[in-house]
Amino acid sequence: MSCTLLTFTSKAVPLSSLAVGQHGLVSSVSGAPTGRSDRLVSLGITPGAVVTMLQRFPGVVFFCDQTELAVERAVADAILVRPMEDVR
Amino acid sequence: MSCHVVREHAGAGPAVLTLRSRPLRVALVGQPNVGKSVVFGRLTGRYVTVSNYPGTTVAITRGRALVGAQVCDIIDTPGVNALEGDVSEDERITRDVLTSDGADLIVQVADARNLRRALMLTAQIAAFGKPMVLALNMVDEAWARGISIDAADLSAVLGIPVVETVAIDGQGFSDLREALARAAVAGAPVGRTSIDRAAWANDLTGRVRRQSTLSLSRIPDLIARATRQPLTGLPILAVVLYALYLFVGVFGAQTLVRLLEDGVFGRGINPASIWLVDRFMPVPFVHDFLVGQYGLITMGLTYAIAIVLPVVTTFFLMFGFLEDSGYIPRLAIFCDRIFRVMGLNGKAVLPMVLGLGCDTMATMTTRILGTPKERLIAILLLALGIPCSAQLATILGILGGVSLAALMTLFVVVLGQMFLVGWLAARVLKGDRSEFIMELPPIRWPRLGNLLTKTRLRVWWYLGEAVPLFLAGTVLLFVLDRLGALIWISRVAEPVVTGLLGLPAATAQILVMGFLRRDYGAAGLFQLAHSGQLTGVQAVVALTVMTLFVPCVANFLIMVRERGLRVGLAIVGVITPVALLTGAGLNYVLHALDVHF
Repeated sequence: MSCTLLTFTSKAVPLSSLAVGQHGLVSSVSGAPTGRSDRLVSLGITPGAVVTMLQRFPGVVFFCDQTELAVERAVADAILVRPMEDVR
Repeated sequence: MSCHVVREHAGAGPAVLTLRSRPLRVALVGQPNVGKSVVFGRLTGRYVTVSNYPGTTVAITRGRALVGAQVCDIIDTPGVNALEGDVSEDERITRDVLTSDGADLIVQVADARNLRRALMLTAQIAAFGKPMVLALNMVDEAWARGISIDAADLSAVLGIPVVETVAIDGQGFSDLREALARAAVAGAPVGRTSIDRAAWANDLTGRVRRQSTLSLSRIPDLIARATRQPLTGLPILAVVLYALYLFVGVFGAQTLVRLLEDGVFGRGINPASIWLVDRFMPVPFVHDFLVGQYGLITMGLTYAIAIVLPVVTTFFLMFGFLEDSGYIPRLAIFCDRIFRVMGLNGKAVLPMVLGLGCDTMATMTTRILGTPKERLIAILLLALGIPCSAQLATILGILGGVSLAALMTLFVVVLGQMFLVGWLAARVLKGDRSEFIMELPPIRWPRLGNLLTKTRLRVWWYLGEAVPLFLAGTVLLFVLDRLGALIWISRVAEPVVTGLLGLPAATAQILVMGFLRRDYGAAGLFQLAHSGQLTGVQAVVALTVMTLFVPCVANFLIMVRERGLRVGLAIVGVITPVALLTGAGLNYVLHALDVHF
C-alpha cells in the first residue's frame, strides 16, 4: 500500500463518501465541536495521513497507520480527504 | 549505572537527578493499549491487569525495580493520546504525574507499528523537559506487517535512547534497563501547534521507517474484519453469548455448583462441621452461630464458595479470553446508535461489558468516557442494570433451572429499564455527549499465561472482597434473627413484598440483605428457590428487583469517591424506587397475563 503507486484527485470530499477499500489523503478536519480535531489529530488523522475505508455501516470504520478507527457518521463527514485512485 | 550517569546525559534535566536518598521515579507513558502494563510487569515483577483494549489501566500503579544499582519506583499510567487540551479523566491522571513533578524520568512506550502517532506524543512529552527513553514495543507485530524502523537513526535525531522491545516475551529489556541511565531530554519541537507536531512526526517517520509492500493477510485480521461487519459480526456475537451461557450458565452455575453445594458442602463440609460443633461445643448458641439456619459455615461460606465462586471463576476465565482477544471494543460499532439515545456513545460498551465482571471496577473505567454527563449516566446504568459476575451466578443458577423464557424475561425487563432510565437521564441531565471516535485494538490470540494469572488474581480478589461481606451479612442476619428483628422487618415490609411484589414473606429479609450485596441477597433467593419455596414467576420478580438494586456497599463507596456523596445518594434514591416499582409492575403484568414459567 505504498503511496507511489497511487495518484489522487484534487477535489476534497468527506471521508464518509469513500467507497469500501478506497484510499484517501486527509486534507483537513472541519466541524464545530471543539476538541474534535484535537482528538482526531492525536489519533493520527492529520493532513497528509493516508486513510483506507473499511466499513460504512453500522458505523464508519477506517484504517490509518496500522490502526482501525471507528467513528460515527458526523465525524466521518467532517474529515475531508482527497480520494486516491489505484493506478495499478 | 548510578544516578550520576543519568545526570551526565540528562543535559538540561532537572537537578533532582543528583545523588538521591529516594528512588528514581520512572513513569511509563504512552498511547492506550501499547503495552505499558506489560513493561511495568517485566520491570517490577508485579502483575497489573493486562488486556487487549485501550483503557485497561485507569489509575496509577507503582512498583519497585532494581535497575543496575539504582532503586527505581516504576509508575504505570493510563494511556494517553494527548497531554494537551481537552483530555479525558484517565488522561488527566497521567498528565498530573508529569506536571506535578511526580516523575524524574519518562519511558515512552510506543506501538512500533504506529511510529507517527507515537512521535506526536514524544513531542508533547518533550515539552515537560524531563529526560526520557523511547521504547518501541511490539516490534514483532510491526515486522510481521513489513514495517521496520531505523532505531539508531531515530535515536540520533531525537537525542534520546531508542530501544526495540517485545514486552510480552521480555525481548529488549536488558537494552531498556541499560538505556535508562542514558535518558535525555528529547530534541523534539516544543510548544508548537498540534499540526506542526504532526508535520514533524510525518517527516521523521518517513525518514526512519521502512514499509515493505508485503502485506500478509493473517487469520486474526480476517477475524477482526468478520467481527465488525454486521452480516458476520452479529451471528458471531450470538455464538459468543451462547458459549458464555454454556460455559458459565450451564457448566459453572449448574454442574459445578451442584457438585460443590450438594457434594462438597452438602455431604462433606456442612455435616462434618455440624458433627464437630455438636461434639466439642454442644452449646445451642454456638451451634446456631456456626452451623444453624443463619450459620457462618452453613449459610455464609456455602453461599460464597459453593454458589457464587464456581460462576465467578468460569466467568472470569471466559471474560479474560474475550478481553485479551480484542473482541469487546468491536461491539462498540454495533452499540453506538443505541447508546446515543441514552446520552452515551459506543465507547460506553467497555464499562458496560466490564460491569458484568464487577460493577465497582467498571465504575472506575467510566473515566475513559469523554464528558462528565456520560460518566454519570454510565455509572447510573451500571448500578441499575448490569449484574456483576457474582450476581449473574445466582441469576443463572436459579432461572437456568426454571426456563429460558424466565431468563429472557428478566434480561428484557432489565435492559428495558436501563434503556428507559438512560433515555430519561440523557434528557434531564445537563451537558453533552462526546462524539464516537474509538480505536479498535487488533485481534490477538490470548496468552494462556496472562489469562490464568488474571483469572487467578480476580478470583482471589473476589474471595477477599465478597467472602468477608457474605460472612458479615450472615452475622447480621443471625443477630437480627436473635433479636426478633427479622420477623419485624418481614412484617413491616410485608405490604411491599407480599402485596406489591407477590413474594413469600421470607423474601423480605433477603431483599434487605440485597442492599448489602445484591449477589448475597440473590444467593439467599437461590436457596429459597432450591427448597421449592419460590414459583417461577416469583423467582423472576425477586431477581429482577435484586438486579436493579445498587450492586453492593463497595460499588456505592466507589460512586461516592468518583462523583461525590450527593450524586451517590441521588443514584441510590433513583434506583431503589425504580427497582421496586419495576418488580411490582412485572408481578402485575405476569399475573394479568397468567404466565407460568
